[in-house]
Amino acid sequence: MDVSAMIPELLSALPLTLAITFTALIAGFCLALLATTLRVHRVPVISHLADLYVSYARSVPVVLQLFVAFYGLPLLVVLFGSEDFFSPTIAAMVALSFYHGGYLSEVLRPAYLAVDRGQHDAADSLGYTFRQKITRVVGPQAVHFALPGYGNSVIYLIHNVALVMYIGAADVMATAHLIMERDYNQYQFETYLVLAVIYSVMCLIAWLIVRFFELRSPMQAPEATAKAQIKNALIASA
Amino acid sequence: MLELKDIRLSYGTTQVLNGVNLSVKRGDVVSIIGPSGTGKTTLLKCINYLARPSSGTIAFDQIQMDYQRADKNAVQAIRLRTAMVFQQFNVFKNMTVIQNVMDPLVVVQRKSKEEAQEIALRELDRVGLSSKRDSYPSQLSGGQLQRTGIARALAVRPDVMLFDEPTSSLDPELVGEVLKVIRDVTSSGITSLLVTHEMQFAKSISNRIVFMDRGVVAADGSPAEIFDSPSSPRLAQFLSSEHSLQ
Ligand SMILES: Nc1ncnc2c1ncn2[C@@H]1O[C@H](COP(=O)(O)OP(=O)(O)O)[C@@H](O)[C@H]1O
Ligand SMILES: [Mg+2]
Repeated sequence: MDVSAMIPELLSALPLTLAITFTALIAGFCLALLATTLRVHRVPVISHLADLYVSYARSVPVVLQLFVAFYGLPLLVVLFGSEDFFSPTIAAMVALSFYHGGYLSEVLRPAYLAVDRGQHDAADSLGYTFRQKITRVVGPQAVHFALPGYGNSVIYLIHNVALVMYIGAADVMATAHLIMERDYNQYQFETYLVLAVIYSVMCLIAWLIVRFFELRSPMQAPEATAKAQIKNALIASA
Repeated sequence: MLELKDIRLSYGTTQVLNGVNLSVKRGDVVSIIGPSGTGKTTLLKCINYLARPSSGTIAFDQIQMDYQRADKNAVQAIRLRTAMVFQQFNVFKNMTVIQNVMDPLVVVQRKSKEEAQEIALRELDRVGLSSKRDSYPSQLSGGQLQRTGIARALAVRPDVMLFDEPTSSLDPELVGEVLKVIRDVTSSGITSLLVTHEMQFAKSISNRIVFMDRGVVAADGSPAEIFDSPSSPRLAQFLSSEHSLQ
């Protein structure tokens, strides 16, 4: 078997990798919004639960989070009296959504707080409702501050999707191992190299999309204040 | 038209406002002067409830509110009839100049885009910013930012304008262009409260001067009374220190 025959086989597993990635991107974003809202507003008890969740998502190794979901979710479902329907793929989607949501909350929260207090004052003084203030003024500015960190979190998510093979999901990584074993481990280097290229391309595309929005931001004008640039850099490195 | 009674407010353990009384008649141009940290900004922010007093009352024409039982509808009604110009401009950074002026009209007042644009263009012309209508805040000077803030405030047709040290964050050479606009606004008859350190300017545009000191109104009178025959040693001392700065 040569490399050109291996590539289509690897790519055939790509839809699954992408499905897990997109599910985690969307569900994770919703979780991050929820967690950030709770953490910014400090509702007693619930906000602490949100803190706990974020700290779990950020401090437990992602592999471990996958195992916890894979073995824990069936128990949870049985507890509520229904059949165990968890495939490795679903467990991976759930685990990575939670991981990504927690991680992203630590991007969104500082971005929200980076919006100048005066912007809130101005909107409030003009009679904007809270909702109008968020959608018209504070939200768009927070998005601007969040974008660099968001780009990073997407790239980490893509990397971590490669771990789903540990709970038996048949993503590109798992497929690569199948191919190598079938070929008596002859073409390991080539296979890994192809895999590296696939991941690079995925991350590059994600980065380009985020970068496009960054450059389009009205607040990214050439004379943007030094303070804003420092804030950006801090958030990006956080 | 506007009456504040016994306003008290503290941040943590520091009392900032210790029972402020202030009443403003329609058409008044009241300048509020006083040392830094005395609570001038905080007082203006009590009017539109950006700062939340622990006690006191406000009466704004028909609207009455006791700050101990602050009521959402009353706060909103007051906010819709006042407009604030901030020391730090607080122009919306994600919007162009004209969007800044139009947005409250469209979002809060539910005017049509066309009507909002028409009003915005008129106000931008009034503050001399027509040529910058499509610039973003990051491309403007401080003076231009503040004139955007003033246009945004004027566009909502407020009954009372609240100016909080509108020129204090500006480079000296940009102060003039903003004062010129404020002079034009106040002389048009709109009721205005102006916190400022520009003593000559305050004297020339105001019909009343309020001297705040340590969280209370320490003197209140016509420009002549306040500047030419200060009633207390602290006022005299404040005026001479301000004078020596200019
Ligand atoms: N948000 C705040 N939190 C805590 N202290 C504040 C806050 N805003 C103002 N202060 C304090 O209240 C006092 C009065 O402030 P301010 O009203 O801004 O005074 P002025 O406008 O007369 O200079 C100052 O001592 C200031 O440090
Ligand atoms: Mg002040």
